[in-house]
Amino acid sequence: MNEELDSQLSAMFDNELPAAECELLARRLSRDEQLKARWGRYAVIGATIRAEGGVRLNAPLASRVSAAIASEPALAAEAAPQPRKRIENRWWQPVASAAAVAGVAAGAILWMRTQSSDLTPAVAQTTPVVPAMAALGNIPVSTVAQVNTGEPETYVVPRLPTHRRLVVPSTELANYVVAHSEFSSPVARRNLLSSFMATESGTAGASGGSEEITEDVQDDAKTPQ
Amino acid sequence: MSADISDLSLVRRVQRGDKGAFDALVLKYQHKLVKLVMRYVRNPAEAEDIAQEAFIKAYRALPQFRGDSAFYTWLYRIAINTAKNAVVSRDRSPIEYDLDRNNTDESYDMQGRMKDSETPEGLVLTDEIRSTVNAAIDALPEDLRTAIVLRELEGLSYEEIAATMDCPVGTVRSRIFRAREAIDRRLREVFEGGLGRVEELG
Repeated sequence: MNEELDSQLSAMFDNELPAAECELLARRLSRDEQLKARWGRYAVIGATIRAEGGVRLNAPLASRVSAAIASEPALAAEAAPQPRKRIENRWWQPVASAAAVAGVAAGAILWMRTQSSDLTPAVAQTTPVVPAMAALGNIPVSTVAQVNTGEPETYVVPRLPTHRRLVVPSTELANYVVAHSEFSSPVARRNLLSSFMATESGTAGASGGSEEITEDVQDDAKTPQ
Repeated sequence: MSADISDLSLVRRVQRGDKGAFDALVLKYQHKLVKLVMRYVRNPAEAEDIAQEAFIKAYRALPQFRGDSAFYTWLYRIAINTAKNAVVSRDRSPIEYDLDRNNTDESYDMQGRMKDSETPEGLVLTDEIRSTVNAAIDALPEDLRTAIVLRELEGLSYEEIAATMDCPVGTVRSRIFRAREAIDRRLREVFEGGLGRVEELG
């Protein structure tokens, strides 16, 4: 055996070999059984000098561990499938993301349609309905006429009015509640009157119901759907 | 120089799937590990079993070893935990007495449970190894003997030995190598000729 190699092996055993030489010698040591046996004898010499009493110097411990490790998967082989697994799992992620986005969008559209159909049943109708919608007075003809220009059919989905209109004028209703106050509880009466007051103050802030809806429709017309 | 550089290069090889590099680590630390475990269990054969288990646990845990501490520090910790667990589980398990067994069975059982280290052959070989190494050390020139003893017994680094012996680090490296070679020549004869058990080295 090469004396220089043996000298390196001895220095490596003592952790005194430069890192670059260590890398090369470690590779050779792991494959060369003769070198490994010498390395093992260096360990026996050390154990004898330290007088490690009770320790069997010829114990087949290393060969037993080696046999046990042989049945174990190699560490690099264990680690290798992980990135592969990630790649395998990655293909469906964009599909799942797209499906989730599409689902949310579809849900939002359906919800908006349901909400708007509650307000105006003919909301998704096309041009023939336009005069009828204009006749309602809620939407100016000029605004709706943008749709009726011979262009392909488009949908106009008006927004919900900000404030729902009361079927009965609030003043009359308030008078009614006060007149029948002897039949209602004070708490319920107070809640009802305070809600009237809130409604009145809300509608007082707006210039008018029809104008408000018109603004909404104009906003929608700017962005065709 | 890093105190753990060669161990680390072997560890990196094991982490890349080279099992042969783990053999080198086992060969290097097996005696120290058995000695450590013998602080918890008196029986050398049981200590070897625990050391074996510790090495296997270390191999399995090696992907998590990042090299923040020295490999042997990490390995010793695993061995100590394994030894403590073994002692606890042994203390919990009841001792079984089989009163119906006759004397012949008993003697057979005792023989079967006896490990190699307790057999006369195993003990003779260990004694032979010890006496050979000690004789070889005694026969060494003083500078070689001092260098190898300071290294193996005191655990000094080459630089510390160089300061102690007042010589260059390169000379220390050479002296330790020559001392090992001289001892190994005689030791190899024991392993190769002695009782024909060379394959059981380590």
